[in-house]
Amino acid sequence: MKSLIEYIACSLVDQPDKVDVKQQRNGNRIRLELRVDKDDMGRVIGKSGRVANSMRILLRVAAAREGKQVTLYVIEP
Amino acid sequence: MADVKNVVEITAQTVEQAIDEGLEALGLTRTQVQVEILEHPRPGFLGIGGRDATVRIIRIGAEAEIAAEAEAKAASQKKVEAPQAEPAQPVTQQAAAAELPAEDISNDKDAIARYAATVVEELLEKMRISAEVKAHFIDPEDDMDEEILWVDIEGRDLSILIGRRSETLNALQYIASLIVNKQVGRLIPLMVDVQGYRQRREQQIRQLALRMADQAVKTGRRQVLEPMSASERRIIHLALRSHEGVTTESVGEAPNRKVTILPKRK
Repeated sequence: MKSLIEYIACSLVDQPDKVDVKQQRNGNRIRLELRVDKDDMGRVIGKSGRVANSMRILLRVAAAREGKQVTLYVIEP
Repeated sequence: MADVKNVVEITAQTVEQAIDEGLEALGLTRTQVQVEILEHPRPGFLGIGGRDATVRIIRIGAEAEIAAEAEAKAASQKKVEAPQAEPAQPVTQQAAAAELPAEDISNDKDAIARYAATVVEELLEKMRISAEVKAHFIDPEDDMDEEILWVDIEGRDLSILIGRRSETLNALQYIASLIVNKQVGRLIPLMVDVQGYRQRREQQIRQLALRMADQAVKTGRRQVLEPMSASERRIIHLALRSHEGVTTESVGEAPNRKVTILPKRK
């Protein structure tokens, strides 16, 4: 799941080396924190959060495959 | 020809959405028009400070009529929301300003198709889905227009990839086109399909449209359909464009915009 977000974020930003994804696990729940360069925030959030929400939808499929629940947070720099 | 619209300018959240809305308004398909991007969307932060995309969509073969129309429009400014201080920029020029891809594949169609297939494969693999991916360009109906890059996913038990109201498929398509557009450096219309789902759905929607049109004629009442995306609404408008008994319009705001089928008054 972490690799999915890493792949998408790195492909969309101007500064892939600044992409950082942290994964925390609490039983069935997984919390993903995505950090990117300040100037790339818009690219991973998108208009009205469209990019972030699309990532969440794809994450849900990946999580369902493992019987887990996942939440994605895009963290402000 | 006077009642046929040849050009629209549409402002929407993304270029893609604006094009979809515009095609719907014109009742044309992607291959029958030329798209000019007037304003690129600027991502704001959490919805603040952003700018919507504005595109001008022109029916191919109607350039002469448009020149006059555009002038009249510029004079009245009725359809243009934002002041057009900036000159219209062609897509390629804007893209060149963005970071160039490591390898320039923008003119190699086979390379673009291969790249798109790889992107979708990577996404699926990371979603723990095993499937076969193939991509190819679909020939335009008109040789003035750009082709559509069609990405097919084949495999077993892939209904999870479609989701409710094709939500998952649309998310996959959206992310894949963003990545491909960024790498290639220009806007390439890209569709992702799972086991022919989109084509089957198009058939279904057409049939639904005809059935509801009959109903409207029979009962004399307007028929309101369920909310659909711009591209699905367009299928209905196109299917009923030459219908003798009804007219269609879209009512409401996305994502709850619905097609309404109205019986014609005699």
